Amino acid sequence: MKSEAPATFTLHSRLFRAEAHSTFLILIAGPMATTQILSEIQDPRTGRGRWLLLAAGFVLLGCFFLPWLRFVITANDRIALSLTGLQAVTMPPVETTDGGLLYRSSPWMYLAPLAGIVALGLGLLTLRPGRSAPWHGLFAIILSVTAAVAVWSVVTAAQEIAQKQKVSVEVQWGLALTFMALLLFLISGLVALRDAGAQQPTFRAALDALDFMAPGTVLVIVFFVLPAIILFILSLTDLSSANFSEPWTFVGFDNYRRMFSDRFFPKILRNTFQYVILTLLFFNVGLALLLALLTAHVSRRVGFFFRLLWLLPRITPSVVYIVMWQRIAQQPPYGILNQLLGWLGVENQPYWIPEAPWVFVVLVNGFVGASFGMIIFTSAIEAIPADLIIAAKVDGAGDLALIRDITLPLLRWPLLFVVTYQTLSLLVSFEYILLLTNGGPGLFTTEVWALTAYKRALQTYFGSNQWAYGAAWGFVLVVIGVVLSVLYLRVFRFNDLVQEPKIDVL
Amino acid sequence: MRVELDNLTKRWGDVTGADGITLDMQNGEFVAFLGPSGCGKTTTLLMVAGIYKPTAGEIRFDERVVNQVAPKDRNIGMVFQSYALYPHMSVRQNIGYPLKLKKTPADEMEKRVQRVADMMGIGHLLARRPAQLSGGQQQRVALGRALVKEPSLLLFDEPLSNLDARLRLTMRSEIKRLQLDLGITSIYVTHDQVEAMTMADRIAVMKEGKLQAYAPPNELYEQPRTIFIAGFVGNPPMNLFDAQIVQEGKRYLARRQGFEMEVPHKQGSRAVGKGQVVVGIRPEDISLAQNTGITGEVFVVEPLGRDNLVDVRIEDLHLFVLADPRQPLQIGDPVQLQIDGGKVQLFDPETEYSLLWT
Repeated sequence: MKSEAPATFTLHSRLFRAEAHSTFLILIAGPMATTQILSEIQDPRTGRGRWLLLAAGFVLLGCFFLPWLRFVITANDRIALSLTGLQAVTMPPVETTDGGLLYRSSPWMYLAPLAGIVALGLGLLTLRPGRSAPWHGLFAIILSVTAAVAVWSVVTAAQEIAQKQKVSVEVQWGLALTFMALLLFLISGLVALRDAGAQQPTFRAALDALDFMAPGTVLVIVFFVLPAIILFILSLTDLSSANFSEPWTFVGFDNYRRMFSDRFFPKILRNTFQYVILTLLFFNVGLALLLALLTAHVSRRVGFFFRLLWLLPRITPSVVYIVMWQRIAQQPPYGILNQLLGWLGVENQPYWIPEAPWVFVVLVNGFVGASFGMIIFTSAIEAIPADLIIAAKVDGAGDLALIRDITLPLLRWPLLFVVTYQTLSLLVSFEYILLLTNGGPGLFTTEVWALTAYKRALQTYFGSNQWAYGAAWGFVLVVIGVVLSVLYLRVFRFNDLVQEPKIDVL
Repeated sequence: MRVELDNLTKRWGDVTGADGITLDMQNGEFVAFLGPSGCGKTTTLLMVAGIYKPTAGEIRFDERVVNQVAPKDRNIGMVFQSYALYPHMSVRQNIGYPLKLKKTPADEMEKRVQRVADMMGIGHLLARRPAQLSGGQQQRVALGRALVKEPSLLLFDEPLSNLDARLRLTMRSEIKRLQLDLGITSIYVTHDQVEAMTMADRIAVMKEGKLQAYAPPNELYEQPRTIFIAGFVGNPPMNLFDAQIVQEGKRYLARRQGFEMEVPHKQGSRAVGKGQVVVGIRPEDISLAQNTGITGEVFVVEPLGRDNLVDVRIEDLHLFVLADPRQPLQIGDPVQLQIDGGKVQLFDPETEYSLLWT
């Protein structure tokens, strides 16, 4: 097969994307394999699995030096290059003067052994006799499967490129050996896992627990972890409706730089805190507690009725609910509020929402949010043993002293739970503000973080969706949420909360 | 303080908790409310405490009607089965809480808490939380909290039921001693007739919301007014069975299939001609005899340590008898029973009232 030599021979960027994937994997896999192998030597209790693992690990590492693929450039009647496993961690090729391609080592390559040493150190530190085997078996399985996927993606990318550039590509024996090594690695991992299960009842119990948690874990991974990762990757690109027809590119942290230097950024930040703190304090916790205490101290039927009443905002469709509020605040003769004011003889009645936007933002969200805390607090109040209440009354407590000294202290845990849960839920909620003021009136008066993220990413003015920029806003919110959750759980000692019901310990 | 309950009644719709309870307590008296679960004893106690408002009737403290007085203004102390200590307060705070509500000065409060705690033997535990105490210690804290404000009435709601058997004995005598020393009028609710018998000056026996009897322990034991009291008071419980009282010459005989015993004139004359009556004999009033008395057969032997409780079968009648454990008895052995006729109780099966003490 003879044809004209291509003047410029460029490999399509997709190959390098595939290489980037495998770079990443080798960075991870290399240290893992090293730790794996060394810990297997360290641990005398691992059994049959360790020799297999050891052998497989060495073969696998070795395979990265063997040629995998050979590109045959027919124009010059010579072999231009052959790609080894390690060349998946290289810089893009540089064209030589004679039309060939030169691969150079990437500085990233040196990171692999460095990271390997660090991981090895960590691995040795965490290594406990008899306890390491299960995790190392799992490592081996995960490593082999992901590495196989990565290697396969390199091969398919290379084949596609070869077809486009009209060169042929030959599979070298190193590739086959790599796959065999990976297979061996997988088998040894499974063997190690099985041995560990046989040796350690605690590990078997952990596996059983894993079975129970698996459905929940899968849900969290599919609906939270993966979307968060995708969101982060998206935020590093320039994806928007303006350049949708062109291939998108990674732009690093440009979107974040743009976000933090936005002149309305401080305003939005302040709005978010104002919104969360005011609504939380006065309604989601304050009003909720008041409602729970009041409805618990009236007759059961009346209490039930009022609780139901306060649930109505929650179960009303948000658009209908906002329309109701707008009707309440309308100018005469439409607004209910202004009708009442009219009867009281108040003149000059405006449309109240633009007059006091923050009052309405907090009221509208607070009325929806109060019911959650109310229900939690009510059930907690009902759960206080009757004897304690009787004891306090006999000891001389009036209603106020009873609430101050007995009820509130015993509500500590539900209180902390509601604060935690509602902070996070308010932080990411924006639909009522969107419908009520859309962040206005004027510029960013009531605009909160989540609303900005939504507007940047998904709200269209003449096709102006900036998905990547919106993703940056969204991702920072996710990080804030996660950090706050961890903080709350630490500060409020959530582990104590789930250990035993505090009220029953008498 | 004198306490009077006058026709005290509590109803929730169709449910009656307490039905026309009338009794009085002298100053310093220790009264037990005794009865099975759901008999209305706790309902009555909570009405005295002011937690429940009576549907009808009156509660009087020293002649003063307190029906409408809030619990906090009644100056009572209360001890619960569940201890009802405030879990979020230390022992010091728990005991001091009634004083704190009375706005007692801090130094006096400290002094009184320490004194009461020392009296209860928990002076060294003041800094602890209730969850860090044993059941017995918690009950002492609860007692201290009830006593610290020097109440004029003490209410106990089955305070010993959650303690183990050994501790229950110790606490029983401690409470009794404490009540005697302090001379505080006390109401003690219990379903345990031993507690009621050993501690109380007078016992109010209740059943299904009604007061069955209100009498000192001895009287309750020796002259039970109803079948219920006869069966409830005393351990092991009284033997109760149907029989007919017939007169043969000057003798009165209680008779049923395979069973005949003589009843003294005083008792027999009251029951003769009434048809079937309920006869009650305590196990300790029956003894095993040689070659005389009623013939039966050993059905079960339950060793109680000091005595053996022997279930003797006479035809279809089972009688419980207390016997000397040194006497070798095997299941199926034939035995003769000697019954102390003078201790026999007789009841009308229709009204369930005693034929002797009404």
